[in-house]
Amino acid sequence: MIPTEAVLALSAALFSIGLVGAIMRRTAVLVFLCVELMLNAANLALVAFARAWGDLQAQSAVFIVMTIAAAEVAIGLAIIVTVFRQRVSTNVDELSGLKG
Amino acid sequence: MIGLFAIFALMVLTGALVTVLASNAVHAGLGLVATLLSLAVIYVMMDAHFIAAVQVIVYAGAIMVLFLFVLMLLDATRPVKEKNPIPFVNEVAGVASSLIAGAMVFLVMQFKEPLPLEQALPQLQAGAPEAIGINLFTKFLLPFEAVSIVLLVAVVGAVALVQRPQVRDQDLPEYKNALESEKERNKEVSGTIALNRNLNTDLNRDLDALEEGTPNTTPQITPQRGLS
Repeated sequence: MIPTEAVLALSAALFSIGLVGAIMRRTAVLVFLCVELMLNAANLALVAFARAWGDLQAQSAVFIVMTIAAAEVAIGLAIIVTVFRQRVSTNVDELSGLKG
Repeated sequence: MIGLFAIFALMVLTGALVTVLASNAVHAGLGLVATLLSLAVIYVMMDAHFIAAVQVIVYAGAIMVLFLFVLMLLDATRPVKEKNPIPFVNEVAGVASSLIAGAMVFLVMQFKEPLPLEQALPQLQAGAPEAIGINLFTKFLLPFEAVSIVLLVAVVGAVALVQRPQVRDQDLPEYKNALESEKERNKEVSGTIALNRNLNTDLNRDLDALEEGTPNTTPQITPQRGLS
């Protein structure tokens, strides 16, 4: 029987790695990859809690989170492709067009 | 069981580190695939069988294909070499997220099982699709419907965003060529029409002049007609 604490610790580690990547990475697509890592860490924690409480609601929430992630990826990649067409680069440092 | 979990946890973390640190973007994407698949195995161990299947199909299947497709399409495999405009961002990121990780692990260690796992497991019904489906369509009905609208908006938005500006017929090269030759022909045709019109007006003027009985104009008309 896997203790819930171990799974939650793995989830915390995964989230932190994703956070480091989201801050450090400078290509827009790779920032997205790291955001996916963080979403997966949250999903893992939800699955662990579902097992701890014996309640399937958390697993349903995981399903919803996965759907939102798919929608987010579709929109995000479309935005990246549009940006790339305009300035042949996806370096997020150069995307300061909305700066006041 | 715990040994198997340790192996797959290690694979999850290795994949995540490859995703964050690899300089080649395609390697980073493949690292994420490893993480997602190992997570699916862990979900199976945690009695979430339906979620594990969805993880493989949606994440490792659809989302990762989309990612790798865009990575290769945009040629984003080159690492960014320029100096980072934000000073010490990597150091700050490392310190901040290790602090967050420490805080979370500290919180996790306080966690007490609300009920013994042996008691909780039967209530999960092995995470079967049927049980989760009943849950989704009763307690989660509103989020479920909202998410379907979000998906629709995402699909329409993605298509609208990547749509190229409409090419008008007038801008096509073959259309331009056709237009040019059409103009040439029109010039010739309108030239003859103008000639006829000139002749007609001349004739009318001659007739008018004749009717009014002013013969002065008549001699000048004949050379004009010949010229035009």
